Amino acid sequence: MKNIVVVLLLLFFPTLIFSQSISGKVVDEKGAALIGANIVNTTLSTSSVTDIDGAFKLKANPGDDLKVSMIGFATKIVKASSTMNIVLTEESNTLTEVVVIGYGTRKKIDNTTSITSLNADDVTKTKVLNASQAIQGKAAGVQVVSSDSPGSTPTVVIRGLGTALGGRSPLFVVDGMPTENINNINANDITSYEILKDASSLAIYGNRAANGVIIITTKKGKGNKLNVEYESFMGFRSPLSVVKMAGSNKYSYYTNAALSSTTFSQDQPINTDWFKEITRTGNYSQNNISISGASESVKYFFSLGYYDEKAVLKGLDYSRLTFRNNNEYTISKKLKINQNFSLGYTHSTPKPFSAFTNAYKQSPIVPVYFPSGQYGVSFVGDNGFASPTGSSFNNVGNPVAQLNFFDEQQKSILMQGGLKLDYEIVKGLKFTSQFNGEYYSWKNYNFEDTKAIWLAADPTRVEANYPATSNQNLLTKGKVDYFNWNLSNYFTYNKVFNNIHDVELMAGIEASTIGSRDNTAFSLKNVNSNSNYWSLSGVDYASNVTSLTNSLSNERRLNSYFGRFQYKLMNKYLLTGTIRRDGSSQFAKDYRWGTFPSFGIGWIISKEDFMANVKGINLLKLRGGWGKLGNQNVPLNRQSFTSGLNTYLGGSILYTGTTVNSQVDPSLSWEVTQETSAGLDFELLNRKLKGTFDVYNKNTNNLILDTRPYITSGVSNSSPAHVGEVSNKGYEIALRWDDKITDKLSYFIGGNFSTNKNRLESLKNGTLAPLQGGGLGNGQYTKLLDNSSIGQPLGSFYLYEYAGVDSATGAMLYYKADGTTATQGSLVEADRKYVGSILPNSTYGISLGVNYQNFDLSVDTYGTIGSKVYNGKKAQRFSGENIEDGVATNFWTLNNTSSTNPGAFNQVPVASTYYLESGDFLRVNNITLGYKIPVKNSVITAARIYFNAINPFIVKKFSGFTPELNGDGNPYGSQGVELDAYPSLKSFVFGVNLKF
Amino acid sequence: MKKILISVTVLSVYFFSGCSNDFLDVNQTENISTADLALLNNDEGAKSFVTSVYNKFLDWNMTSFSWNGMSSIASDDADKGSSPGDTGTDKDLMDALTYNASSLSVGEVFEANYDGINRCNQALYYIPQLDQADANLKARLIGEAKFLRAFMYFTLVKCYGGVPIVDHIPNPSSEEDRVMQLTRKSKAEVYAFIEQDLNDAIAALPNKAAYPSSEKGRASQGAAYALLAKVSLYQQKWQQVIDNCNLVSGYSLSPNYATMFQLAGENDNESIFEIQGVGSTPAKGVQGYSVSQGARGAGGWGWGFNTPTLSLVNAYEPGDVRKDATIIFAGTTLYDGRVVPTTVENPRYNYKCYSSAYTDAWETDTNIKYLRYAEVLLMKAEALNELGQTSAAIPLLNQVRNRAGLGGTTALSQSDVRVAIWKERRVELAFEHDRFFDLVRTGQAQAALAADGKTFVVGKHEVFPLPQKFINQANGLSNQNPGY
Repeated sequence: MKNIVVVLLLLFFPTLIFSQSISGKVVDEKGAALIGANIVNTTLSTSSVTDIDGAFKLKANPGDDLKVSMIGFATKIVKASSTMNIVLTEESNTLTEVVVIGYGTRKKIDNTTSITSLNADDVTKTKVLNASQAIQGKAAGVQVVSSDSPGSTPTVVIRGLGTALGGRSPLFVVDGMPTENINNINANDITSYEILKDASSLAIYGNRAANGVIIITTKKGKGNKLNVEYESFMGFRSPLSVVKMAGSNKYSYYTNAALSSTTFSQDQPINTDWFKEITRTGNYSQNNISISGASESVKYFFSLGYYDEKAVLKGLDYSRLTFRNNNEYTISKKLKINQNFSLGYTHSTPKPFSAFTNAYKQSPIVPVYFPSGQYGVSFVGDNGFASPTGSSFNNVGNPVAQLNFFDEQQKSILMQGGLKLDYEIVKGLKFTSQFNGEYYSWKNYNFEDTKAIWLAADPTRVEANYPATSNQNLLTKGKVDYFNWNLSNYFTYNKVFNNIHDVELMAGIEASTIGSRDNTAFSLKNVNSNSNYWSLSGVDYASNVTSLTNSLSNERRLNSYFGRFQYKLMNKYLLTGTIRRDGSSQFAKDYRWGTFPSFGIGWIISKEDFMANVKGINLLKLRGGWGKLGNQNVPLNRQSFTSGLNTYLGGSILYTGTTVNSQVDPSLSWEVTQETSAGLDFELLNRKLKGTFDVYNKNTNNLILDTRPYITSGVSNSSPAHVGEVSNKGYEIALRWDDKITDKLSYFIGGNFSTNKNRLESLKNGTLAPLQGGGLGNGQYTKLLDNSSIGQPLGSFYLYEYAGVDSATGAMLYYKADGTTATQGSLVEADRKYVGSILPNSTYGISLGVNYQNFDLSVDTYGTIGSKVYNGKKAQRFSGENIEDGVATNFWTLNNTSSTNPGAFNQVPVASTYYLESGDFLRVNNITLGYKIPVKNSVITAARIYFNAINPFIVKKFSGFTPELNGDGNPYGSQGVELDAYPSLKSFVFGVNLKF
Repeated sequence: MKKILISVTVLSVYFFSGCSNDFLDVNQTENISTADLALLNNDEGAKSFVTSVYNKFLDWNMTSFSWNGMSSIASDDADKGSSPGDTGTDKDLMDALTYNASSLSVGEVFEANYDGINRCNQALYYIPQLDQADANLKARLIGEAKFLRAFMYFTLVKCYGGVPIVDHIPNPSSEEDRVMQLTRKSKAEVYAFIEQDLNDAIAALPNKAAYPSSEKGRASQGAAYALLAKVSLYQQKWQQVIDNCNLVSGYSLSPNYATMFQLAGENDNESIFEIQGVGSTPAKGVQGYSVSQGARGAGGWGWGFNTPTLSLVNAYEPGDVRKDATIIFAGTTLYDGRVVPTTVENPRYNYKCYSSAYTDAWETDTNIKYLRYAEVLLMKAEALNELGQTSAAIPLLNQVRNRAGLGGTTALSQSDVRVAIWKERRVELAFEHDRFFDLVRTGQAQAALAADGKTFVVGKHEVFPLPQKFINQANGLSNQNPGY
């Protein structure tokens, strides 16, 4: 214990002992100065780092041993002398690079599986909140669908979607802690972001691996000197593209035509641009400071970050504070303890995204405010203008009022921490024990000024008429918290026999608990209008409570055994085998345990003798594997009573009601995915060209669908059941060319392309009902999954096929199943067709970078091909609501019968391909231009300023705000449907990075 | 140092050994597991299974917007209302009789009633297992569940014709139960099933008077007789109508027609079965019922759907107090002093759904009267008349007329009295979810709807289409109604 205290003290007071000063310079083989090389005097325990000229100064006596090291170069030990010129030789990355695999690490060259490793630079270059958004387009086979709304969580799909309604998110493992979300992690704290893609790498995570695993490692202290790093950026954001709506007069013209009336004047005094009224130029900033360093026994890292955003939607603010402390204590030669702790605090004032839909739909003739100061409403007067006393012409509220009245605040804290112990029992045999826990707490309030909303909805209303029995206002407060923990213990044994048999064995056990979510919410009516007096002490609020709910979700536990065998023969033949056995509390007793094996093989061809004389090939490795993975993330499969179905029966007694509203298949168990994959890694032409090629075939043959029983069962809750089979087949290619033209000029160009074919192979014609999704809130649905979907990809749209405008009547025509055309009244369900999926066939990214002297420039682009998106906000349009400018300018009339836009109409249109558009896009995700300011003899050791343009350009076909529509992340929900969606943003950022 | 090692070793050994199956046995916290039925093994538990069925009648999809679309807007009593452009999703189609199998209303009412039937079936499955609950109470509750199930099957058969009879909780892996859920039974079979349930209910239920005042909303024996009479009426089993009407005892006409549809008239002496809404916190009322039909536009408080037609206005004879009790006219003052200005969108609104205290609330204190003694009188009158006992029928008809401030009927012949009774039903029961089905039952639909400017296709519009969702699920086991 004493040791630990001493160690902690050392951590805060790095030892600095002064002696004679020696200076020198560190250069590479070509004589170029190396900046940031570490020089450690192992005799005196002093250290230094080289500056911009490669120069260093440190306390040493001539003859002391100096250890000179730098990443990418072979470490060298030299004797100190008065003037020194130290030459470091470059080391091939390939030989030293290490990848993190589950419960261990492996040299990249010895790895037989498909893992994409991204470094700190990749996750921080694009200035966004969540690291997953920053890696979009940088990893082959990984599709990231993100939203620019602050605090949103991107959807990450690795090698295609293998489940329809089960959990779809990959498992994140942050410093050994399995977690579901990384919104709390400051991207600046990340040192590596590794994506495990194939079954042979994933199977070690068994039941939670089917959607892929992302392993995130955060920074540790390094170097022998105290390093302080400060980064600050500030940026402006605005919508990347906007939709041009009809102005007042065009609106009036169209709406009159639709109503066959002259209700609206075509000389309107008001022309409100609602989108403009609800948006502003967003701005955001982030400040980070980190302090790190290392001594013989301690490596320490502290960081503090603050992110603040004023979003483009008025009133939507978001801020996040992060703190991290990672320490590694070398207690003895055999024992090492790693401790990490992080805290993420967020604060936000959300605003409803339906305001975007309302702004799209509300008529431009309505003013934001009437001259009386009251909110404008959609009433039209006798003069054909919007008027406070006219008759109502649509059901859309005033979007500005909507935002102003929406008063909500959310706060959350996520704390994660863990301890990891590594103990070397004998040489080659190591025991590792790791415990991690996370605690989350979330609070919100929502204040509804009920009376003011009632008054604003109709300017003729007066306070005196407000019903006495109605609430003056309503305050809702909520709280959620949970605690999750994870404990793993494993042994690792490593030995080389006879110089050619390199064996590593690992075996262990793990227990995890995903704790109950304790969820409390209550609503109080008639609270004090001053928010600081909402929670007065000494007041009994019981009579003001309109609702009070508290629920504790079911705890989920996992218990696992796992093992891995890795074998390398003669440094070129590789074999890996893993097995995991998992038990999950999610399933009935007899169906609780599952076994998930995998194997992988590899052959480093370039190490063969016959390759020795082949010039130009530096590395050639062939690998392949097979594995079985599980997805346990399905609803709890136990039958429950549904309570709360209460009613009065003629008096004032509220009787409680109970029923059963679910059907259960007791044999439900794992969803199992099997994958076979192969890959080729190569490095050619003096390692200037590096690349990877992968193919895979994934099959989930007992797909769990969250299915709904037959209507006539009267059971409306869905039940999970094994009913289908889904396959994902694809290939991925990644290439990168690096070259150095002169010492001052280097560049790279890289790209990746991946394609995935998703297909619903079969569905049991069982007792379960089809699933309709992508609802538009007006009775129309857009997506279907049932027996007719076999052969289609998941997330397929199922729509009526639009056949154009009837030039005689202006009506929209659709194809019937028999090929004839008809208007919507005579369509039947069987006329619908599958017309494409929200899932893209291919995604690609191209990156390039140039370094010239102190300047660096990089460009990242990202694109998708083959997805469809549904223009939900346009399809939801109802009578009296606004239309797009293009429609209002040119629509069918008796004088314009050749228009491709149908005649003005009021009815709810059926869900058809008229509103289905291509989701293809190519976007420049990021352009960064940086400049390293030369600093000399200052406390600042390095300084860089940069300019960052995020999403400055997009090429797209979609006519809406953005084709990147994550929605609720559910392929059968609002994903791929633009309705109440946040627009994509372009951001321009200026930042500075200083090192001390 | 050694201490650390020892403790780590001890901990690790603990966790290696401690990871047994017990670790994976987690108690449910979110919902009560059906394995813990013991918690409901008492009187309150038994009641709660039936309470959930009554609760179903408050649901939006069961008794509110879609139900108005089918029972009222489709008829000649009501128009869609609201703004011309606001279709209420499909209420324009319901009004014009151009709905199809995918129309929302048609799907919601079907789904909602089967949802309620499931709650009945759950009650009928679990209540007999509750051996700690009072045996008499259990018998009564089973009677209530059967009455309610019969009520919902009656709704289904009126709307859709023959439907699948789901008389027990289906086992999801049983082929037999799959067929049961997806195969339509004939109309006659459904009626036979309803009658069986009602006869069981009659045997088990007490009179309304036996219930305490806080439970007058429960199904009573009188309600079961009255419903059986109505079910018989739809099958033209005239004698059975009379027999059952005769057994409905202990009820009388309320002296004031208008108050019946106000708070004061809830569960009055005329009421046989009504749906209970309470607006005070915690509010439990028919969801959106008052607001969706409330006056729309400047000075209004609702969405303005389901508005009385001119044809209905004209159906009232001069002096009929029921006209102003049924219809809110723009520019008038309501009984509670509220002024409805002329600036509201529509000229007329439904008065029977109006809640004085909770006006535009989602759930208000408005009750819905499904069976009233006045209807029992009219049913009996109709049956007597059909059996040639016209002179016995006329006084019953006149009782209803007199209460409305009208003199006795002038009709004398059997056919005139028949028409008079049908017309009386219209004005007496307007907006009580009866008109569309009554038009179909009596064969007046085509003519009446033509007079209202709608095309009723004989052989098609007698029933609504089965929801497409169901037809898809049936996958050939059931056919759509003709014409859809």
